Amino acid sequence: MKVAHKIANNTLYVSICGELDESCAAPLRVRLDELFDAAGIARVVLDLAGVSFMDSTGIGMLIGRYKVLKAKGIPLLLSSPQTVVDKLLSLSGIYEIMPKIG
Amino acid sequence: MDNYMRLKIKAISSNEAFARSAVAAFCVDANPTVDKLADVKTAVSEAVTNSIVHGYNGSGEGEVEIYVERSGNTVHIEVKDCGVGIENIEKARTPFFTTKPDEERSGMGFTVMESFMDSLSVEPNVPRGVVVKMSKNLDGAEKTTE
Repeated sequence: MKVAHKIANNTLYVSICGELDESCAAPLRVRLDELFDAAGIARVVLDLAGVSFMDSTGIGMLIGRYKVLKAKGIPLLLSSPQTVVDKLLSLSGIYEIMPKIG
Repeated sequence: MDNYMRLKIKAISSNEAFARSAVAAFCVDANPTVDKLADVKTAVSEAVTNSIVHGYNGSGEGEVEIYVERSGNTVHIEVKDCGVGIENIEKARTPFFTTKPDEERSGMGFTVMESFMDSLSVEPNVPRGVVVKMSKNLDGAEKTTE
């Protein structure tokens, strides 16, 4: 998966691109946790517009990131999921802990 | 039955994308809507992931067999492994239940399969492992003929 990021106004914006399944969840987890270590972050927005596929492995990975950020007191928001990904995320109830924006 | 395919893959996660894409390509003859085809891809990915991660414990050993049969606009899919099996299938199907809580597993696999497909059964494979059977009517005619 491709990961790009920028920090603006104390917000870490991370966009991920590709298909999110078991084959890429572990390296993605490591990469995101590295980015979360940056100083001065007040919130994280994960842009999912480039994610064309996700299964429940992705849900587990996202909940893991939520826990990492929660321990730091940083909220996580999900942005712009494609329809197919949005259906899975809605089913999981994940938006109750990491709201959808955009 | 109009057509069928059988696919056997090494139980490694890098084969998941190939497996779900191959099944989706086979299902095109059932005249699916884009949404229903996406549902099938997700459900197949869940079943194959279960076999790799739980059945074979991520060892990279073993095989996963995927059989798909099409009758008209309906597809019947079987995903079978010869792994360790599931001790308590009823419990395993409970939403959010996972035997690997330390690995950031959502425990949503069977819930997703059940929600995205018309039917789902999970049975022990003989002599060992698991067979997941699921079916779905993919007919998209109501959206394409008018």
